[in-house]
Amino acid sequence: MSITLQEQPTTDRGFWNDTGKTGIGSWIFSTDHKRIGLLYFYSVLGFFLVGVVLGLLLRLELMAPGRDLMSAQTYNALFTVHGVVMIFLFIIPGIPGAFGNMVMPIQIGAADVSFPRLNLFSWWLYVIGTVLVLLSLFTGGGAPDTGWTFYVPFSARTGTNVSLALFGVFILGFSSILTGLNFVTTIHRLRAEGMTWSRIPLFTWSLYATAWVQILATPILGITLVLVIAERMLGTGLFDAARGGDPIMFQHLFWIYSHPAVYIMILPAMGIISEIIPVFSRKPIFGYKMIAFSSLAIAAAGSLVWGHHMFTSGMSDTAVLVFSFLTFIVAIPSAIKVFNWVSTLYRGSISLDPPMLFALTFILLFSIGGLTGLILGAAATDVHVHDTYFVVGHFHYVMFGGTGFAFFAAMHYWLPKFYGRTYKTRPAVIAWGLMFVGFNLLYFSMKVLGMQGMPRRYYDYLPEFANLNMVATVGSWILAIGLVLMLVNLFKGLFKGAPFTGNPWGGATLEWSTPTPPPTLNFITEPVVTHGPYDYTALKHDVREADSGVTP
Amino acid sequence: MKTTYLTTNEAIDPVFIFIFGASLVLLLGITAVMVYFVIRYRRSRSPEPTSTADGNLWLEIVWTVLPTLLVLAMFYYGWAGYLALRNVPEGAMEVNATARMWSWNFAYPGGRSGTKLYVPAGKPIKVNLTSVDVLHGFYIPAFRVKRDIVPGMTNHVWFTATKPGSYDIFCSSYCGTGHSAMITTVEALPEAEFAAWLKEGAAGEGAAHPGLALLEQHGCLGCHSTDGSLKIGPSFKNIWGRKTIVQSGAADRTITVDEAYLKRAIMEPNADVVKGFAPAMPPYQLKQDELNAMIGYLRGDTVAVAPKIDGKTLAQEKGCLACHSLDGSKGVGPTLKGLYGSQVKVTKGGKLLSITADAAFLKESIKEPGATVVEGYQPTMPPYPDLSDAEMNAVLKWLEELK
Ligand code: HEM
Ligand SMILES: [Cu+2]
Ligand SMILES: [Cu+2]
Repeated sequence: MSITLQEQPTTDRGFWNDTGKTGIGSWIFSTDHKRIGLLYFYSVLGFFLVGVVLGLLLRLELMAPGRDLMSAQTYNALFTVHGVVMIFLFIIPGIPGAFGNMVMPIQIGAADVSFPRLNLFSWWLYVIGTVLVLLSLFTGGGAPDTGWTFYVPFSARTGTNVSLALFGVFILGFSSILTGLNFVTTIHRLRAEGMTWSRIPLFTWSLYATAWVQILATPILGITLVLVIAERMLGTGLFDAARGGDPIMFQHLFWIYSHPAVYIMILPAMGIISEIIPVFSRKPIFGYKMIAFSSLAIAAAGSLVWGHHMFTSGMSDTAVLVFSFLTFIVAIPSAIKVFNWVSTLYRGSISLDPPMLFALTFILLFSIGGLTGLILGAAATDVHVHDTYFVVGHFHYVMFGGTGFAFFAAMHYWLPKFYGRTYKTRPAVIAWGLMFVGFNLLYFSMKVLGMQGMPRRYYDYLPEFANLNMVATVGSWILAIGLVLMLVNLFKGLFKGAPFTGNPWGGATLEWSTPTPPPTLNFITEPVVTHGPYDYTALKHDVREADSGVTP
Repeated sequence: MKTTYLTTNEAIDPVFIFIFGASLVLLLGITAVMVYFVIRYRRSRSPEPTSTADGNLWLEIVWTVLPTLLVLAMFYYGWAGYLALRNVPEGAMEVNATARMWSWNFAYPGGRSGTKLYVPAGKPIKVNLTSVDVLHGFYIPAFRVKRDIVPGMTNHVWFTATKPGSYDIFCSSYCGTGHSAMITTVEALPEAEFAAWLKEGAAGEGAAHPGLALLEQHGCLGCHSTDGSLKIGPSFKNIWGRKTIVQSGAADRTITVDEAYLKRAIMEPNADVVKGFAPAMPPYQLKQDELNAMIGYLRGDTVAVAPKIDGKTLAQEKGCLACHSLDGSKGVGPTLKGLYGSQVKVTKGGKLLSITADAAFLKESIKEPGATVVEGYQPTMPPYPDLSDAEMNAVLKWLEELK
């Protein structure tokens, strides 16, 4: 495969206009991985914001005991929709769909993914699934009120529009599977000359591990959801004890997917951190092989720990023993990654640009989330905090403090590359500070509330929980202000900000060697890889070459 | 490692302390090192990296092996504590809990039952958990115990309340609209007090009407109040004969609450849903006599209660026997013995009359004693206008028996 630039002359705007097509059709029917990546980016960001608004409404209702602004039924529908939107519309498709698509093919020196049209189809499936989920909110018996976990028998009985929502999530699953297939094939088949397995950037490695989980685990979710639909429509009784079925079997099936799904959420985020830390420390990542290997180890071993969500369910004590043990084993590779990231900083030359600030915050928040996960993995302590606000605090630390902040880091790291313009640093840092403070007020309070015994999914609570709930709600406002400031600053910069060219942070992965923004086919000449992704001594040589005009 | 514990807290709290302690050390360590590196090696001070180290086998081995040992210790303590929760101490008292959307019922060996969990302090209690509808969760934060309640399966927890007092019970597993209202308490009583409570029990928890008792037992009162306040469903107060707008399918209709409507609303609650409420009520399959008793209560019937109230006790409590004897002797007022159905001379409106002391007369002279005064007595008796119909009936029945 040889890449030469097509008829159209390269312009400053790269893939934005070098094909000469700029209408809406050139986007929603594009097979260019960068355009598809941006389509995903705006879709998932949009739903993230929808989810945030719903979360703020939940917090508003919980500001004080009693009824504040909505009924119990509305509240239950809101937390269900908040969960479904955040999980299935934002965080699972988020990083692979947006940054995986935009960056991964360039990182391995490819012109696109293996199956560009399948890639577009994945995005369309995402849109269709989303429309079905949204339709379910306004039709039939009204918005689902089951929680995002859809536990039977409640989900089989409630009069709300659960079936349509389940079908929407079923479709979203296909989108995820196809993205996984596409990425695995691409990483195997389309690597540039010299891009050996040990030179693959860690972000791409993390996507590779994630992709296998997407392919192998998602079908189980699909089947499970269809079984619940059958339960509702045909009364099959598979999960109904009165007819020989088993409600606990549903929980097993659900978590066989949904625990690995948390690795779909977190692994790519870890990949982003592994890119940013070395670049802003100007030092090779510490323990490249260990980090790449631990991604695979997490993906594999993570498939065997689903039962830790069910310690109180009534499953056998033997199962509790095994799942608790395996859960602690999976904790180890995550700890190793944290140690490796921190060691990378040692004797580096550290610059706290916004991407780095968000990445370092990831390490802190993810560690807090991970360490509280140990409480949940130990059978004795899980019994007390299971289904309480401790869990709500825990998973927000991991998913929002972890994956969410990694997503923000990636936005500040890669988007200027694709837009050719950049944001102002100062407002970004102020926004970061607000978000950091708000985040911890919001979710740390939740952990304490959980320790005190406040159950989750509670529309109302006893007066003894009032103070911390107020703190959490105030925290959510600070967080929201920071978020708005961050987005306004970022998008103002991307559309109107100062030009962004070259490789200002000194990244050594291939995306920093292409023109900014990259042309449709990514590279002007097919790249030949001669050094590892974090080899900054080799980079100096390249940059000198770049200065002399050999590569732009 | 200990295998038997007197309380669940004793088994669980040390595990919390161990894991939180170790985590705190790790977190502070990681954060301190990270912050130190960021400050020490900031670009203004360290313009070029002074190392190109990209790994160190020994370090990697150390930080793989040490955390492994640490988490294995956590696993082990966690498991041991969990076993303590599973192994119920010998001689624990058993209570059967039934969860439903959205209320609790606790039944005791002696036949007593109620919506609060009364227990003797200092004694281990085993609670057997069953659900009649969806998943619920039985959670007492104070004792660190929790277990899901799964339809078709009996789970259990045990705990010991060392001190008398009141402790929250929450439903921990999401169960629909009334989930957060599905809360009650453990009432831990000193042992002797508990024994007395249990004995006094056969009568049920003071529910006056058998229909009301059924409403409580089936959990209806979890969502419907009897005092007019709004819960998840409409209140039962003055429900009989009320005009209500219901939605059947898409259309609104106005109905009057009557027997046929109530039966349908209980057995097929989603056929007509009262406007403004979610279709959240589960359907109930009840025995005909249970249904009738409930409807009787909602209608405001009182007859059914008569046998429950004892006329003699009432007469004692109301102080009647201070003035009226039961043995034919004369007191401040005439004796009650043989009064019912006898001929008495009374002054009514200034005229002397001879009348039969039938139910109607007796009723009147209890409610308004001054109106008809038996000859030879002073009009000193206080009126009793507040006796309920049920109480009045009980008293009359007793008087009749005193003949
Ligand atoms: C400003 C941002 C956010 C706020 C204020 C917020 C608030 C909340 C609250 C209060 C709950 C608990 C509801 C309850 O148990 O009654 C909740 C649940 C949840 N949140 Fe968030 N959240 C935010 C962001 C996120 C993000 C970024 C994610 C994921 C990436 C997320 C995922 C979830 C999930 C999965 C649930 C569980 C829903 C369920 O119980 O079914 N949230 N959130
Ligand atoms: Cu899990
Ligand atoms: Cu419940």
